[in-house]
Amino acid sequence: MLNSVIAGLSSGGGYALLGLCVVLTYRLVAVVNFAMAAVGAMGAFTMVSLTDDGLNVWPALFLGVAVSAALSGVLGAVLIRWFGEHNERTKAAVTVAVYVAVMAVGLRLFGATSTGARRFPAPFDGAVFRIGDVVVSWAVVVSLAFAVVITVGVEVMLRRTLVGLRLQALSERPGTAQVVGISAPRLATAVWVAIGALTALVIILVAPRLGGDFSTLGKLIVTALAVAMVGGFRNLPLTLGGGLLLGCLEGVSASLSEVREYRGVIPFLVILVLLWWRSRHEVWDTAHSR
Amino acid sequence: MSTESPAGTEPVLRLREVDIDRDEIPVVRGVSLDVAPGAVTVLLGANGAGKTTLMDGIAGLVRTTAGTIELAGRPVQKLPVYKRARAGVGYVEQARTTFRTLTVEQNLLVARAGAGDPDQVYRLFPELARRRTLQAGHLSGGEQQMLVLGRALVTDPKVVLVDEMSLGLAPLIVRRLMRVVGELAAAGLAVLLIEQFANLALDVGTHAYVLRKGRIVHDGPCADLRGRHELLHEYYFGSTTPDRAGPEPADHACDPHPLDTPIGGGTR
Repeated sequence: MLNSVIAGLSSGGGYALLGLCVVLTYRLVAVVNFAMAAVGAMGAFTMVSLTDDGLNVWPALFLGVAVSAALSGVLGAVLIRWFGEHNERTKAAVTVAVYVAVMAVGLRLFGATSTGARRFPAPFDGAVFRIGDVVVSWAVVVSLAFAVVITVGVEVMLRRTLVGLRLQALSERPGTAQVVGISAPRLATAVWVAIGALTALVIILVAPRLGGDFSTLGKLIVTALAVAMVGGFRNLPLTLGGGLLLGCLEGVSASLSEVREYRGVIPFLVILVLLWWRSRHEVWDTAHSR
Repeated sequence: MSTESPAGTEPVLRLREVDIDRDEIPVVRGVSLDVAPGAVTVLLGANGAGKTTLMDGIAGLVRTTAGTIELAGRPVQKLPVYKRARAGVGYVEQARTTFRTLTVEQNLLVARAGAGDPDQVYRLFPELARRRTLQAGHLSGGEQQMLVLGRALVTDPKVVLVDEMSLGLAPLIVRRLMRVVGELAAAGLAVLLIEQFANLALDVGTHAYVLRKGRIVHDGPCADLRGRHELLHEYYFGSTTPDRAGPEPADHACDPHPLDTPIGGGTR
């Protein structure tokens, strides 16, 4: 059982980072971005296609990340330019439309679940070490370390740097931030570019473990949203914890033959439970007023 | 358009025939006004006259649909908000718009364009210096208003737009803030001031405009309006009778302020 939990932490680190990307997008530019994982998958598949064609892994990685960053930047620029004065629901609807479009293009370019699975480079998967009876893969350590470093790094950036403070000001009062001379469009576009790049890196990190097909990776947005909900779309450490918890739950469910086939339902269950828990007072009051 | 101010000085801010809509409803129509350096120009008007919309239009928060806005001789009406701020439009918005999760120091830091000096703000408001590491959301209402005014100053503005500083503040604080506004103007800054307490604004101002239903209905020295409540009522409501049952908002009518009774005022 403990081995399954530890193994689940590898995916958990990736889930935490995806959730972190959702939270940051929401906190800093006030958009729930449903297209995020699909855009990241586009970069990941660009990378793996290039390595399949014989390009060295590092330039391929750079180009793949650049593709996702550019796509995300374009989406952000469109939202800023044409939907800047619309509410959050409209912006979320735009990202849903982009999600559908990117998934359609991605499946066309890279193939569906049965035909399009690619072999992503997995430099850490073979190596393991032991702590007592527990086998720990280096993939788990790297995934966890990446998640913790990014979470702490983002917190420090937001609190200690001028760009971070300006981003906080922009997220708190977008109009007033511009009134004091902060270039909101440029800063917001930079956020979109950075989130796109980070998402591609995370997708590349989790792809060897989760299956290298475009459909599975693009649909990781459901897991990312569940993790973001654990953090209340705001709290970064809680989001990190939520991602790790979800990874552990998946790890445990994978080790139990009775529920193994249903482990994909876990993110939906987490979303349902959190929605119910957060609206429990309203539900309780309504029940009592009848 | 004549502005009573230091003789011969060119206006820093010049509006000509400006129209502004909100949600496709015309709010400001054909407004022309000048704001001179070294003086406080007062903009008066009843609730709903379009004062805040005009301020928002100058700052770029709402689009102008016609007319020109010149800052130091340069048209700015097509610039986005942040470029107008960098060009020299400082805006003290209504409702004490601090960045609540940032400290006092950080509020000034994010706004600092490079030339502005936070120490100038701390000299004007020593209590802010003592609370520089405190989150702005934990400051008192008066301190928050001081911070918002100070934050506008560190952007190194050519003109400062001040919208209803007195809302919800104690009379003592309001007097102090007004005194600071007067001192800033005396030091050469151009100030455009909206204030619900007309007499208070007219005391500190040199030139006054009155806005009614989105149009300028009075343009002249503040001295012409000081103490003339009936004339102000006529400008505000189109009636010489200072009738409280008119369009003035009930909250103001029922809540006389120790400084003065507000005439109209409020938002938008």
